[in-house]
Amino acid sequence: MSVSNDLELVESFQKGNEASFNELVRRYQEKVYWIAHRFVNDHDQADDIVQEVFLKVYRALNDFRGDSGVYTWLYRITVNISLNTIRKQRIKDFLRIDEFFEYPSEESEQPDKQYEQSEQKQLIEEAIQRLPEKQKAVFILRYYEELPYEDISKILKTSVGGLKANYFHAVKNIGEFVHRAHRAH
Amino acid sequence: MHTEHIKYSLMDYITGHLDEFDLDQVRLHLQTCPECQNHYNELIAVRDALQHTRKVLPSSSYYSTILPRVQKRLMGHRDPVWSDGKIISRLILPLAVSALLLIFLIRMPSDSSSGHDQTDALFQAVKDYSADDVIQAVSNEYTGSNVLSNPEVVSEGIAEHLQGEHFIREALLKQIESDEIVDMDIDGVLSGLNREQADQLLSGLTEREML
Ligand SMILES: [Zn+2]
Repeated sequence: MSVSNDLELVESFQKGNEASFNELVRRYQEKVYWIAHRFVNDHDQADDIVQEVFLKVYRALNDFRGDSGVYTWLYRITVNISLNTIRKQRIKDFLRIDEFFEYPSEESEQPDKQYEQSEQKQLIEEAIQRLPEKQKAVFILRYYEELPYEDISKILKTSVGGLKANYFHAVKNIGEFVHRAHRAH
Repeated sequence: MHTEHIKYSLMDYITGHLDEFDLDQVRLHLQTCPECQNHYNELIAVRDALQHTRKVLPSSSYYSTILPRVQKRLMGHRDPVWSDGKIISRLILPLAVSALLLIFLIRMPSDSSSGHDQTDALFQAVKDYSADDVIQAVSNEYTGSNVLSNPEVVSEGIAEHLQGEHFIREALLKQIESDEIVDMDIDGVLSGLNREQADQLLSGLTEREML
């Protein structure tokens, strides 16, 4: 998965070879899915994001000039669309739009006791979901994707120093959220 | 001597992402800095908890469905509802803004004369928040989570803002503008609604206003 190969694919696409786009999709679909999934913690939403990302990529590919690496460009699009999805959801939640138009789905949810073990897992997931956008993005890209700060810096257009501070605060906030939740019980 | 630089490297230290030089620096620093030692212990606890979160894999056939669906959408022309959706979202955006305003105004304490001096500094802090922060804060407050330490103060501060009424509108617009790569599409936030639903929303809001 070398960078020059990605670039060759892009150039080939720009010369009219549509199949190069397909190869890019195959190459990155899994990564894009997982980043999206970390952001929204939901398969269907992550799937929507994946679709949006590749539609966006297809439409923007002819304008890609190679100022950044293909993969940082692609990740940046993924992060942006993921954040947009979250924002939309947040505004919808806030306005409680769904309440007006949708009947709540039949509660087929969790028998509490069986899920003792996954309670911790859920708490952590929730803590991550509740991080401020920037911290969340940095946390996902650094902790889960293990990207170098230099690359994250290009993806999020933030200085490395700022990223490190964001990362630290993200982890601290997760810890505090879990801690508070435990004490509330 | 404590330095921020070391503190911010602690998580990378824990996850083994430092080179040898930085590694030694952090290790030495930890022996002499109780503050960082505390951070270190907290981060370790989070790291342990994080190990509970592992990937839930999508079905094995999932990835093979991605490309065909992308191609299908690329080939298909614009939805016929598109233009209609545009009109509605033009209606919806101001609607969304007024809904936000409305909710804030309803929540705003009717008598905010007491304790004013005390909160001035906090109002100032709220003013410095980005649009994202504000929406997040409001959203958090709304759903009962206290990511920000004192939600009451935050919502009060926001309410204060809204006496200048432009704030949320500007905040939303700022969001749209600041999104360089992806069109913010806040316009499309509620664009799934048809005209009838938009009317419903409108009358719902009017009812709330009369309360
Ligand atoms: Zn220290």
